[in-house]
Amino acid sequence: MKIIDLALKDLLRSLRSMFLVGMSLLAPLLITALIFFAFGGLGSDEGSSDLPSVTVGIVNLDQPATGAAVAIGDSLYGMFTDPSVSSWITTVKYVDETTARAALDKQEVGALVIVPENFSAAILSGKAGQPIRLLQDPTLTISPMVIQNMITSFLDGITGGGVAIQVVMESQSARGLTLDASGITNLISRYQAWYTAFQRALFHDPQQAALNVRTPAAEASSESSGMQIFSMVMAGQMIFFAFYTGAYAMMSILTEQEEGTLARLFTTPTDRTQILAGKFLAVLLAVLIQGVVLLIAGRLAFNSYWGQPISMLMALLAQVVGATGLGVLLMSLVKTSKQAGPILGGGLSAVGMLSGLFTVAVPNMPVFMDTLALFTPQGWALRAWRLAINGSSASELLVPLAANLAIGLVMFAIGAALFRRRFA
Amino acid sequence: MTTSYAIEVKDLYKSFGDLQAVRGAQFQAHTGEVLSLLGPNGAGKSTAISILCGLLEPTRGDALIMGHSILSEPEAAKACLGYVPQDIALYPDLSAHENLVFWGKMYGLRGAALKQRVAEVLEIIGLSERQKDRIGKFSGGMKRRVNIGAALLHKPQVIIMDEPTVGIDPQSRRHILDAVKELNRQGMTVLYTTHYMEEAAELSDHIAIMDQGQVIAYGTHDELIRLVGEQTRIDLKINVESANVLPAWQKVEGVFTASAQDSLVTVLVDDSNRVLPRLFDAATQSGARILSVDIQEPDLEAVFLHLTGRALRD
Repeated sequence: MKIIDLALKDLLRSLRSMFLVGMSLLAPLLITALIFFAFGGLGSDEGSSDLPSVTVGIVNLDQPATGAAVAIGDSLYGMFTDPSVSSWITTVKYVDETTARAALDKQEVGALVIVPENFSAAILSGKAGQPIRLLQDPTLTISPMVIQNMITSFLDGITGGGVAIQVVMESQSARGLTLDASGITNLISRYQAWYTAFQRALFHDPQQAALNVRTPAAEASSESSGMQIFSMVMAGQMIFFAFYTGAYAMMSILTEQEEGTLARLFTTPTDRTQILAGKFLAVLLAVLIQGVVLLIAGRLAFNSYWGQPISMLMALLAQVVGATGLGVLLMSLVKTSKQAGPILGGGLSAVGMLSGLFTVAVPNMPVFMDTLALFTPQGWALRAWRLAINGSSASELLVPLAANLAIGLVMFAIGAALFRRRFA
Repeated sequence: MTTSYAIEVKDLYKSFGDLQAVRGAQFQAHTGEVLSLLGPNGAGKSTAISILCGLLEPTRGDALIMGHSILSEPEAAKACLGYVPQDIALYPDLSAHENLVFWGKMYGLRGAALKQRVAEVLEIIGLSERQKDRIGKFSGGMKRRVNIGAALLHKPQVIIMDEPTVGIDPQSRRHILDAVKELNRQGMTVLYTTHYMEEAAELSDHIAIMDQGQVIAYGTHDELIRLVGEQTRIDLKINVESANVLPAWQKVEGVFTASAQDSLVTVLVDDSNRVLPRLFDAATQSGARILSVDIQEPDLEAVFLHLTGRALRD
């Protein structure tokens, strides 16, 4: 019972230590979040849109050109009301610019597209006219940029169509033929139909797009999909800080020695083995709680995938045992909390690098790095998480788990023996 | 087991390498009394009580706490013992209440008994109103009170206080001395280590004077004073380093011993009226001028000087 009392006291102190909470929970989440946002949310599911929805206001003052059935402004309006973009674009039509600007000022719309009068006539005649204007809510960034790209792409298509019609007309003229108004209209209608289909395919069906850009990694296998890579990045951070937490939590025995409370504990009718066991239990619980919190936070905040439940638990166990064992061993080798600083800061970082914790997303790492990682508990923990995240079964995780159990227990035994000797 | 001694120290030795911190220390504290362990810094007091509390193992010898050997029955001995360390030994990031609850558990208290005892101790140390505040926010005096309170939770029969008034303000010191008296009035045996003779004189039923790892005198205050006999202590402040005049004064007729620290010289004399003019003459011949003279009745300082030839403050 006293062992639990000792452990709970240490845990309570740890939770009240802003430094430890920051380093064990906030730091890994923060670093992961930075990576997440820097790469635009690697962990998002393919096919689902991450674009924020936007309301686009349109003032269409355009009229059909002479002989044409449809105004280009109407086609532009049609692009924004196409069913394929209805999940993230809502279109509101305004009859005049004043009303539309007022709506933009009130942030009722995020972007405002103004198609001037006689826009179609100007385009088809090849003469310069008033351009389409795009006004945007200054607080928005991504959505208006996408709207601008859509308009630019649309106008490129129209310009291309104009050139094509011009070429056709010149070709007909060279043969002594002339296209009448209905022929031109028919030609424009067919081009518009083709171009609408092309755009829809380009923006909304990448499989049918003319240009389909994919990374080699994505091509290789589902194992290294964005989500899995991102989960591995977070696993690397989680392991690094778990080992930091293990060592820092064990440092409490040095702190207590310096505060005088350890000596006072020894004057109570509490066996020294119980006191040490309480300390070890506190370290184990601290690392375990940290791991569980980060797994849940990673899932909720970044949609991280941790594998099948059994595999996830085995990987977590490998991490906890390794971090506890190394923490006990490291702190048994130093005499004061000041000496512990360089070990926590430099030593664990160096071992973390050798274990590959910071290079999980780097492809084609040298083979010797993999070999080096086999000599560290962090490396085996990373291996366990890699297997779990890749969907491996529990039996496949037995090797890294057994390796870390063995390493962790040996380190724990050595550390515990050194502590016992020191405080005998 | 019943015994008339709450603490019995038997021929205790403790060495750290070549340094012999305790050399055959031997003393007893009767049940229900206050025993002060008086001696200068480095006399071996803290080492001796560290052995009694189970922090150090003796190189030789043994000690009994309420009849329990610290070597063969350490847990039983510790259960009878409350230890108040010289420095604050509490968790600064836990509240006073949380600290007391934790230390109570370490002494085996649980449930309602623990809750009740923590409330009682908070009353005793006068911190019930501040029990939820973290120790780190307390003043030095308040921390001292909690430091003492943590040793009282299990109602120990013996309480050991290691120089609890070092470095604190007079008000907190008074509070602690009163607390010691109150605890003793309630029946606790108190072993109180100090290098302040006034505290030893005020609190103690018996006093053991330690020097260089040994108990050099033991008895009641009056018994110890009688060791000095009719000697009178004179403190003299001079305008030069004491080394200039000390050898001359040690040779003055009627002077038993003389000890000095900086410009303050303490001498034990048989008759101050007769010896003082000689001291003035010797000072003049040595080129020193006496700035002040303080004649005191025999006290523990004089006893220590008488026994060791050195002042207690050295």
